[in-house]
Amino acid sequence: MKLTINWLKELVNLPAGLKGDGEEGPHAIAKTLTMAGIEVESLRPFYQDPGVVVGLVTEVRPHPRADRLSLAVVNIGDEKLSVVCGAPNVRVGIKSPLAKAGTALPSGAIVKATSIRGESSDGMLCSERELDLSQNHEGIMILPDDAPLGQPVFSHLGLNDWLLEVGVTPNRGDCLGVLGLARELAALTGGSLRRPPSSHPGKVSKVKQLSLLPDVKVEIQDSRLCPRYSARMVSDLRPGPSPAWMRFRLEACGVRSINSVVDVTNYVMLETGQPLHAFDLDQLKAKRIVIRPAGDTKRFVALDGTERELAREDLLICDGDVPVALAGIMGGLNSEVGPTTTSVLLESANFDALTIRRTAKRLDLHSEASHRFERGVDPEGTLAALDRAVFLLREISNGQPVKGVIDRYPCRKRPSPIQIRDQKVKDILGIELSRKEIERILKSLGVKVQARSKRGIKALPPSYRPDLSREADMIEELARLHGYEKIPATLPLIRAQGGTVDPYLRWGRGLRNFLIGEGLTEVINLPFTSREMNQHFQGLWDDQRAPVSVLNPLKQEDSEMRLSLMPALVANLRSHIDQRVRSYSRFELGKVFCLNPDGSTDENTYLAAILHGQREQRGLRTGEMAFSFLSLKGLAEGILEVFGVESRTVWTSDDIPPFLHHGKAASLKWDGLKMGSLGEIHPDICEELGLPAFLTLELDFGKLVQYARIEFKVRVLPRFPSVERDLAIVVEEAFPSQRIINWIKGLGHSIIEDVQIFDQYRGSPIPEGKKSMAYSISYRASDRTLTDDEVNSIHHDLTSKMCQEFEATLRE
Amino acid sequence: MKESLETLREEIVARVGRYVNKEEIDQLRAEYLGRKGKLTLMLRGLKEIPAEERPLIGDQLNRLRHYLEEEIETKLKDIRLQEKGQLLREERIDISLPGSRLERGSIHPLTLVMDEIIDVFLGMGFEIARGPDIEDDYHNFEALNIPKDHPARDMQDTFFVSDGRLLRTHTSPVQIRVMESRQPPLQIIAPGAVYRHDDDATHSPIFHQVEGFMVDHHITFKDLKGVLTHFLRQIFQEETRVRFRPSFFPFTEPSAEVDIECLFCNGTDRPSDQGACRVCKGSGWLEILGAGMIDPEVFHIVGYNSEKVSGFAFGLGVERIAMLKFGIEDIRQFFQNDIRFLRQFR
Repeated sequence: MKLTINWLKELVNLPAGLKGDGEEGPHAIAKTLTMAGIEVESLRPFYQDPGVVVGLVTEVRPHPRADRLSLAVVNIGDEKLSVVCGAPNVRVGIKSPLAKAGTALPSGAIVKATSIRGESSDGMLCSERELDLSQNHEGIMILPDDAPLGQPVFSHLGLNDWLLEVGVTPNRGDCLGVLGLARELAALTGGSLRRPPSSHPGKVSKVKQLSLLPDVKVEIQDSRLCPRYSARMVSDLRPGPSPAWMRFRLEACGVRSINSVVDVTNYVMLETGQPLHAFDLDQLKAKRIVIRPAGDTKRFVALDGTERELAREDLLICDGDVPVALAGIMGGLNSEVGPTTTSVLLESANFDALTIRRTAKRLDLHSEASHRFERGVDPEGTLAALDRAVFLLREISNGQPVKGVIDRYPCRKRPSPIQIRDQKVKDILGIELSRKEIERILKSLGVKVQARSKRGIKALPPSYRPDLSREADMIEELARLHGYEKIPATLPLIRAQGGTVDPYLRWGRGLRNFLIGEGLTEVINLPFTSREMNQHFQGLWDDQRAPVSVLNPLKQEDSEMRLSLMPALVANLRSHIDQRVRSYSRFELGKVFCLNPDGSTDENTYLAAILHGQREQRGLRTGEMAFSFLSLKGLAEGILEVFGVESRTVWTSDDIPPFLHHGKAASLKWDGLKMGSLGEIHPDICEELGLPAFLTLELDFGKLVQYARIEFKVRVLPRFPSVERDLAIVVEEAFPSQRIINWIKGLGHSIIEDVQIFDQYRGSPIPEGKKSMAYSISYRASDRTLTDDEVNSIHHDLTSKMCQEFEATLRE
Repeated sequence: MKESLETLREEIVARVGRYVNKEEIDQLRAEYLGRKGKLTLMLRGLKEIPAEERPLIGDQLNRLRHYLEEEIETKLKDIRLQEKGQLLREERIDISLPGSRLERGSIHPLTLVMDEIIDVFLGMGFEIARGPDIEDDYHNFEALNIPKDHPARDMQDTFFVSDGRLLRTHTSPVQIRVMESRQPPLQIIAPGAVYRHDDDATHSPIFHQVEGFMVDHHITFKDLKGVLTHFLRQIFQEETRVRFRPSFFPFTEPSAEVDIECLFCNGTDRPSDQGACRVCKGSGWLEILGAGMIDPEVFHIVGYNSEKVSGFAFGLGVERIAMLKFGIEDIRQFFQNDIRFLRQFR
């Protein structure tokens, strides 16, 4: 909410430090509010004062040599100046801002004493636009008749002021008016509140439950929805432009100036926090105000000219059967106050916060009024706001108050007293507040102490603070007004609770450190993606799962939660390919989401990586290492090793996701369950995405963490040397090399310690369609040094059996 | 024989001193000690001299041979040492050439900051809890004392998914989930991603929070101030000034907004908009986290007795802290993953 410092100061008497007109006063006020929980979001001078003075035009005659110019004599008190003026509205007797020679205007131009077509001009009469007050440049600005001659215009108009923007938290509806903030400042500083001048309706106001205006009746259908409805009437109005001080204040606070009548309702709302509405009385044909839910009334045209469809529960203000306002949100076009309006019915009512909020939200129609009603308006304040508005209408719009007031108040809520226990205050705040301090704070807030006992006090909050309903609320107020900075900071005494290691943190750290050592860089992407991308990349979920849709996405291409980390990584790759990078290796460790057939959702954490181009190296260029399936496989093996699950993980060619090239991909399984997939991207997908080939890997991090091995088994180191024997065999091209290793290990020979594959060869002299695989076998006995004869015999036996088993030939 | 022995000795002594290179020495060795060397021949000729002279001359010849062998050996050793020294003086590598290695990757700056935050709290005895990103309305709002149609919901624009569920707008629901399943004492942090329907230079639709809370008998606002002040001074600087000011959150009462003095202008608190610090906009302070004493209503909802236990809770934005620590101005940089940005955290 926006307001000005001067407006605030009109309503509260502040102590010396906050009063100053310079920079210090406003900043001290801002700091006081911020430190009390009403955060000042900005503070800046209201308008830049160029130093123009009030001038009275005493003579006007046409310029002898220019049709559109006049020569005016302007009295500024101690001197009379001749001014050449081009404005059509210059005439004898008006007061207007005069810029003397030397004045710097907001545009940067400096007014000079000069001669225009032979006539000397000692200054300049200014329009509002020239003073940067508004866009109005139709003529010179006309000042009120009581503007003091020769005095600075800006201070007379109250423009030497500061604009303050405060962020009012949703619990403090009472601070959505200048008066509420003034009250808060008074409580914080010990200052006193000053009520603005108002016009009382006269003696008849004593009888409040009756309509005393003979020709208007008010009927509330549901008192829960409208606890109070007050109204007054004003006649003989002459709606015109509002005086400058009011216009500038309204516009600075973000409310457009319309005419003096509408402006007064808005001004009083900004001041008191009580929204008002003025109906053109002549347009209220039935003179019977009915406050009711819309029911069968389907449509309503509001002031903004838009027709809106209503829901049954929307609250309407009707004139007889005709809806004239959407209660608490916006008036109707049919009863709008215009230039010809002479009398109005001023509505000052209280509506149910929830009802207003639901309607405003559904119609997406938010007004200053609805904003306040949603946050709670004090029902006790309707009459004061009316009286203030009537006063202002009389002042600026020639209004004549009609005697009497309508005040329907069927649902009066009285605040309940609250117990404040000394012990509880201490338990929560950790400090002991004296009774004296507690009572001082409560009094400053308008809270009445009803009873005092040994254990505590019983207090009654004021009607404008519905947020104070429990002991906890009162304790917060005590802390706030006492000052948070006065409460010391200590470390707590808490019972020890043991504690556990978070596996995601532990394994996540190990994994990340491994991956960056392998040259991959971590990315973090938004978890939203498009339907198309989710169809391409379905993660490691089983077939029954569907993506989770976002019902209100920011962009259509972000309308689903990702099933896999791949879409965003692919998008990252694309943007880097556009930048022509030679090497790309990234990983992401993040959440993925799916929808189960029963409507529930699941989330899991995946690890995904993309490799493209070469492994990045530092130093002289000595041979490049292009990423291949084997580098990707090596990476995957390393990851499995980090978790200690490499030996139980099964590599297979089954179950390859469709986005991978089936001949160059593998799946990882654990006890038959999908744990990951890796390989080269399918050429069709590359083509569709317009990307070169790349390698990807996706693993179920949740499962890795679940299966991770924490213990290590330590074997006694061998005492006798090992003997190595190599062999090379020629097999069919499609023969999986691992089979030999598994077969040899499967023999269970106690002296065969290890088998490794170390070379693969195709080409002459190996026949077409075949390949040569070279294995190294390590023999070792635990109790003796093996002799050559012994090893040769076993090795020979092994190779011949192997050739038979796999129909392979030994390569000599 | 005697004379020739004498001549030979003089000859050898004279020549040994003269020769300096390996070839000359090899030649010398061959000339005297080789198979047909002068000394060898003389030794071989010993049997021809009379038996009584034989021991004396033999002894002298042998001594001469040993002398020569030793001299040659010493010379050769010197030469080898010289050669090695020469080589060491000449062998030079350009040590300004780049080292040769595989490039390392880097950890995302948000992970770095998240880890740092977590470590400070683990050090204070906090434990980690985690909760789902897809939450229900109850845990994200209602159990946190934010009823349906409450204006406080406007503070957090929400993404909705099917079945009335939503993407959690804060990590506070983990507070509820933990309290539903455990009893005090509790000293928990809950790190994770949160979602807001928002996208500009200072707001990202997803960002990261660390929620923390402590519940036991007699936990007070003083403790809240102590724990958070300690945390902020660990994350920023030991002397960082910390300020607590009143605020509003439906699930804490009293609530506080916590500021640290501006890291960029050192909290000079300049009063004017002109020339004011761009980061703190002249206030001298930076908002860093929200906190408060857990509202008795929340305790009531999870079945705790607010007459017996009390506690505080806080929530801090990881991006916010990372932006301040690293001087990053646009939150979206974290999620654009430009390698030129990420590499700076290597």
